[in-house]
Amino acid sequence: MIPRPRSVRTRLTLWYVGVLGGVLVLFVAGTSAVLFWTLRHQLDRRLREDVETVEGLLRLGPDGTLHVGQEARAGDMRTQRPQELIEVRDAQGAVLYRNEVLGGTPAPDEGVNGYTERSGRLGDGTRIRLVSRRHSVGARALLVRVAHSEEPLWNEFRRVVLVMLLGLPAGLLVAGLGGYALARRALAPVDAMACRAEEITAERLHARLPVENPDDELGHLARVFNDTLARLEGSFEQLRRFTADASHELRTPLTAIRSVGEVGLQQPAGSVDYRDVIGSMLEEAGRLTRLVDSLLTISRADAGRIELHRASTPLLPLAREAAALVEVLADEKGQQLTVEGDEGASAFVDPLIVRQALVNLIDNGIKYTPAGGWIRVCVEARGNESVVEVSDSGAGIAVEEQGKIFERFYRVEQSRSREGGGAGLGLPIVRWAVEAHGGAVEVKSRPGQGSAFRVKLPAGQVCACRTS
Amino acid sequence: MRILVVEDERKVAHALKEGLEAEHYKVTLAHTGEEGFYLIHSETFDLVLLDVMLPGRSGVEILSTLRKRGLQTPVLLLTARDTVEDRVLGLDSGADDYLVKPFAFPELSARIRALLRRGRGEPAARMKLADLEMDVVARTAARGGRPLELTAREFDLLEYLLRHQGRVVSREMLARDVWKEAARHTPLDNVIDVHIARLRRKVDDPFARKLVHTVRGVGFALREEPA
Repeated sequence: MIPRPRSVRTRLTLWYVGVLGGVLVLFVAGTSAVLFWTLRHQLDRRLREDVETVEGLLRLGPDGTLHVGQEARAGDMRTQRPQELIEVRDAQGAVLYRNEVLGGTPAPDEGVNGYTERSGRLGDGTRIRLVSRRHSVGARALLVRVAHSEEPLWNEFRRVVLVMLLGLPAGLLVAGLGGYALARRALAPVDAMACRAEEITAERLHARLPVENPDDELGHLARVFNDTLARLEGSFEQLRRFTADASHELRTPLTAIRSVGEVGLQQPAGSVDYRDVIGSMLEEAGRLTRLVDSLLTISRADAGRIELHRASTPLLPLAREAAALVEVLADEKGQQLTVEGDEGASAFVDPLIVRQALVNLIDNGIKYTPAGGWIRVCVEARGNESVVEVSDSGAGIAVEEQGKIFERFYRVEQSRSREGGGAGLGLPIVRWAVEAHGGAVEVKSRPGQGSAFRVKLPAGQVCACRTS
Repeated sequence: MRILVVEDERKVAHALKEGLEAEHYKVTLAHTGEEGFYLIHSETFDLVLLDVMLPGRSGVEILSTLRKRGLQTPVLLLTARDTVEDRVLGLDSGADDYLVKPFAFPELSARIRALLRRGRGEPAARMKLADLEMDVVARTAARGGRPLELTAREFDLLEYLLRHQGRVVSREMLARDVWKEAARHTPLDNVIDVHIARLRRKVDDPFARKLVHTVRGVGFALREEPA
């Protein structure tokens, strides 16, 4: 097997030269054939004229012998066209006239229907072209044969072909060099890009490839590559922050476990005290467990490994179910929790996951609304999407915090008390749950005037029992 | 009742041994898969606790080999993996139940009891603890002869506590068995706490002897405690 040239440049050039060589060879062959045909055609035409001339000169004597009339003219003819070989035979093949030795035996059908042409060689090897025609002088049928050497034709043909064949490699060489230089110029940006790309590592993801001409193929490649880099950088950044946040979150309960245990063991104590210490440590262990569970869930969600079991789901019953689960919490705070809306609103979603999202939203509402306030869940069908809005009469969220509350581990500062809040994963889970279904969640809130979370989900089949 | 615990993590293994012995089981420990495999063949156990991640042969491999050889003993798998595929793999290999680490000991203990009890008739329709009585069929409960007004959820909760009376039940167990929620989550924990508080108000507040107890860091227990 022929080793494959390593560089694209060389391969391109080889292909180019190969194709060009093929084309040129075909061209040379075609041109030569046409040339040869044209030359021979010219020769044949001349020979036919000569045959006619010879015929015009033939005279039959009264005794039946043949005379080539006007010898002088025949002589003229000979001097004018010294290479002409003329032969006249009778029907039986006997030579009646011959100016030089043409040789050979006429073929049986020679000159039968008008002119016949054939090529041959003389005794000394000279190539000749022979044109014959049957001709009648008086009652005698004659065969007139005129031949001409083909050597000049062949010489001219050889010369032209030789020139072309000599020019061909030279042309290919020039084309190859040009092609190579061109390929190198065209591919130089690729080399530059490769060099730059080599410098980009996980630590230096902010570097980008230069885009020289954004509209050509290489510019397109560079742009696509840069977009990929940007996404990669984003993911890396997210991962880095997530890892940092997660470690921090894990460290907190770990610290608590350690310090409670260490302090508990510093002085001898009674079994009641020890029970208290162990209980406290177990509480932190429980928090740690829940945190790890949440992190695993999130990482699975990030990896797209949570399978959605989607079905057309009526939203109002789902919202009622979610509210019923946490209703007791609102009840404890003397809050009013209501669920209302379109009976016919449905969404094409995984009911368990969306219910969890709604539970988180309602629970948040209960948590951040003072005793005696209200939390309202409103379900609405809007053409090809369904909207669930969870609003409350709570403290509201400052504008600068509204963008951050969906970030992992983010907790609104004043509510940072761990007793009330979770690990800061409630809303991120809501966002994931909604976006996984191709929906969107947004918040509208003003401090002191409550908050409203709008969840938009793709609509399911519209139920026949639709009432409004 | 003899239980074989196959677990390579020694701390966990000993905690399990002590905990189960406190519940009057006879416990044998094996620290490797090979050892466990040998013990199961040479001795008879009523139940096997099998860790999935063992050095050498994995718990799942051992289990499927044992099942192919006709082992009937109930097996509870312990594992740190909790994806659906892992569960399916575990149960397909012949496990009777599956518990994800880290688990609460009361949960393990409840699962073991359930496995050992399996196929031994219907659960009791009437239950009693001190002066607390419950009729599961009629869905009535009374303490000291006075009927308790319980909501449906509170009744289910009290029934569950009564079935596990004298033992601690964790929030995970309540979330799964009483609330029928697939996953435990923070709002649900709060909901459980509120319900326990309400139940306590109805069951305990009017009486001197308290029955509903909170075991800090673990869960709740319904039991008579010495005053």
